[in-house]
Amino acid sequence: MSTLAVDQAASQSRRKNRKSRMAGIVPAIIVGIPLALFVLFPLTHILGRSFSTPDGYGLANYAAMLGNERFLRITWNSFAVTIVTTILAIVFAYTFAYAIQRSTMPFRNLFRLIAVLPLFAPSLVQAQGLVLLFGRNGIINRTFDLGIDLYGYWGIVIASVLYVFPYAFLILSAALAVADARIYESAEMLGASKWRAFRTVTLPATRYGLAAAIFVCFTLVITDFGNPMVIGGDYTVLASEVYNQVIGQANFEMGTVIGMVLLIPAAIAAIVEKRVSAKQYALISEHSKPLVPQQDRMRDRFLLAAALLISLAILLIVAVVVFASFVHLWPYRMNFSLRHYAFDVQNGIQPLWNSIYISVMAAGIGVVVVTAAAYVIEKFPSPATRALYFLSILPAAVPGMVLGLGYILAFNNPMNPVYAIYGTLFIIAIANVYYYHAHGFLISGTSMKQISGRFDEASATLGGSRLQTFTKVTLPLLFPTLVGIAVFFFMRSMVTLSAVIFLITPNTQVAAVSVLYLQDRGATNQAAAFSVCIIATIMVVLLAVRLLLNATGHKNVSLIR
Amino acid sequence: MALALSHVTKRFGSTIALNDISLTVERGEFICFLGPSGCGKTTLLRIIAGLELAEEGTVMLEGRDLSETPARHRNFGVVFQSYSLFPNMTALRNIGYGLECRRKPRAEIDARAAEMLKLVELSEHGNKLPSQLSGGQQQRIALARALATDPEVLLLDEPLSALDAKVRESLRLEIREVQKRLGITTIMVTHDQEEALTMADRIVVMDTGTIAQLGTARELYEQPTSRFVAEFIGRMNILPVENNLFAGQQLALPSDKQGATMIGIRPEDVRIHAGAAPSDPGLIPVKLRNTIYLGHLAHLVLDVGDSGKEIVAEIPGHACKAIVDAPHLAIEMRPETIKVLQ
Repeated sequence: MSTLAVDQAASQSRRKNRKSRMAGIVPAIIVGIPLALFVLFPLTHILGRSFSTPDGYGLANYAAMLGNERFLRITWNSFAVTIVTTILAIVFAYTFAYAIQRSTMPFRNLFRLIAVLPLFAPSLVQAQGLVLLFGRNGIINRTFDLGIDLYGYWGIVIASVLYVFPYAFLILSAALAVADARIYESAEMLGASKWRAFRTVTLPATRYGLAAAIFVCFTLVITDFGNPMVIGGDYTVLASEVYNQVIGQANFEMGTVIGMVLLIPAAIAAIVEKRVSAKQYALISEHSKPLVPQQDRMRDRFLLAAALLISLAILLIVAVVVFASFVHLWPYRMNFSLRHYAFDVQNGIQPLWNSIYISVMAAGIGVVVVTAAAYVIEKFPSPATRALYFLSILPAAVPGMVLGLGYILAFNNPMNPVYAIYGTLFIIAIANVYYYHAHGFLISGTSMKQISGRFDEASATLGGSRLQTFTKVTLPLLFPTLVGIAVFFFMRSMVTLSAVIFLITPNTQVAAVSVLYLQDRGATNQAAAFSVCIIATIMVVLLAVRLLLNATGHKNVSLIR
Repeated sequence: MALALSHVTKRFGSTIALNDISLTVERGEFICFLGPSGCGKTTLLRIIAGLELAEEGTVMLEGRDLSETPARHRNFGVVFQSYSLFPNMTALRNIGYGLECRRKPRAEIDARAAEMLKLVELSEHGNKLPSQLSGGQQQRIALARALATDPEVLLLDEPLSALDAKVRESLRLEIREVQKRLGITTIMVTHDQEEALTMADRIVVMDTGTIAQLGTARELYEQPTSRFVAEFIGRMNILPVENNLFAGQQLALPSDKQGATMIGIRPEDVRIHAGAAPSDPGLIPVKLRNTIYLGHLAHLVLDVGDSGKEIVAEIPGHACKAIVDAPHLAIEMRPETIKVLQ
């Protein structure tokens, strides 16, 4: 072959390479459009509205905010709550996770279940339980007449610690689960004490998990408004202020400005967390020897005591809510009654059915959307891949209420085609899908990476097309993960307040919001009954899915994430 | 000619993985790509399989240009290093997968899968999942799967390197036997020289993206053309030579090898003379530094005079004692055993 011919062939194949990269843009765009529409577009509206003043665009809203002494105090409040809560939650969650992963204390599986129990309840159940216990009409104050006043700073902190505990626990538990026994054996052979081994081996090995847990806690607390609404009293934080401005005063400009202020720390935390957690996996090599915890009486007793105390607090909150739902009138007439389950309130039991309907939709749509995004990013590399990845994890940085507010501003407009579904259950399901998009996407992407490469290549050499490979190999292997993602979307959609609070209408009320409204009105028993219904629904679904997975031979799939 | 590569070049960024490779494989031949990791052998195999595209050059099969044909239309059977059986399918379904993708009738798929299962002697394991099979069994199923579609070429990417030594040895023979019976053109990638020597008709020794030497096992061992090949296949003493002098001793180089600057000699070709007078012509006096006793063999590490040079000789294990006890040692390098490496 002449040099010229070789050159021609080379430029041809190079062109072909470029062509296949360009071809990847089409699926990227197909997957990217809904993401842009339901994440980016609402955010641009938030941004635009925060700069919009009666005299055109400007910084007036921000200036007004910064010059406002009340606003500065609220910002200070938010950070004071968030930082203290994060520190406490991390200490408790690390201790608890350590007890479960690294000790020989009994009932570790039971403790693990207790730790994640709050995930089954609406996100304000902690405040609800605390009010039932220590509130003005709480059983403790009523019985012992202690005059404890929990409303305010400490009420929010305690409720928030309990609220974020399971999230921190899940991350730290995963970080502590992997350990290389050889390193601990080396440390011991070199004469390191237990405490020194913990400081020099365990802590550094879990630093990425620790950082991730810190940032997740930080974001959850600073953007949570359910607990501060219920137990905050006069103590206002940024998240509850957004709610007040928008719902109470219909002041969208101020709402969006505070939303932007919330978005910044949440976005920074999310970005740092993603950077940091990507490094977690490189620590364990395939030659590692798994660490089997050895018995240590003193340590195990201490950890058991700590685990018992924390479990007791979690169980007490849930138990008191369940209990309150079954008594005639808390705390005055404590005889058994089912009257709160009659739901003789406006809309009756409908909000629960709405929630279930929304959650099932969110589960179905969510699985398809996040899997499609992960699949396109993994299998169709193109110049748009990075942008698509960014869009996919962007929602992790967006507080739920900011996204919900963006939906109002973007879609409550007859000119926008999405207006057709505005005010329906469907758009609430969509909001949940995109609010939890990042987490579902990462789960999907991680397991897609684990099964990718070699099976695809084997299938290709055997003559399988992309579609055949996907339906015969990838999908069956992905199945348990997809079930897990569906359960994740279902659970979160059942309990979330923040993403949906601005999107509900009288006809599309959801159960978690009912809990908030009833609690706010002082109908604590009925609020408790609603909470119990949510918890029960999730438990039934989890049980059913677990049985289904066991029956199909997928025993080792974790459903709670 | 069955398969022809011409001027295949591949770059990853600025590093050249393959540099202008041309090669012809005969029909029914078993070829091994042998080389250290990073030499480009796997990349070359993947280009032949269609899993990677060459930037330049062509892959031709029986005169047809396959360079632009995607892997799934090439009908080449591939066995990968790591067990790439689909974990969600039984052994039989794995074997039938290629035919399933070609939408063959169920009965034909089943019959062919059973036949291939019998070929690799695993008939009783057809309904097991990969996780229920041993590593060796999995690779046999992978072989059956690769052969089930009656491929034109069989490509093996380090198929044995993840297996135990015993299993590896028996599977070597089995693969070679199946290959001969079917008469299928086969290319195997390996970094294990013993594997290449025992299995291949011809071996392609590769070094940093180029072909260092191509030949039968015997040719490579007896006539290596470069230091790289000499040292990669078997052991070789590499000795610098100046004006036919090595370590101050005159070497009896054959007439056509006068003026060489680097020679090689295999340890088993180094003749040991125990108790010989140091002044004997053609003998180089040496001192024994170390003895490595291997049972049937022994390796002697010898210092050549005071030159600081060392040379390794291989002798039968039983001859070891006499040599260790000898007062004087000398070596002889016969001209016909000296290889010139330039």
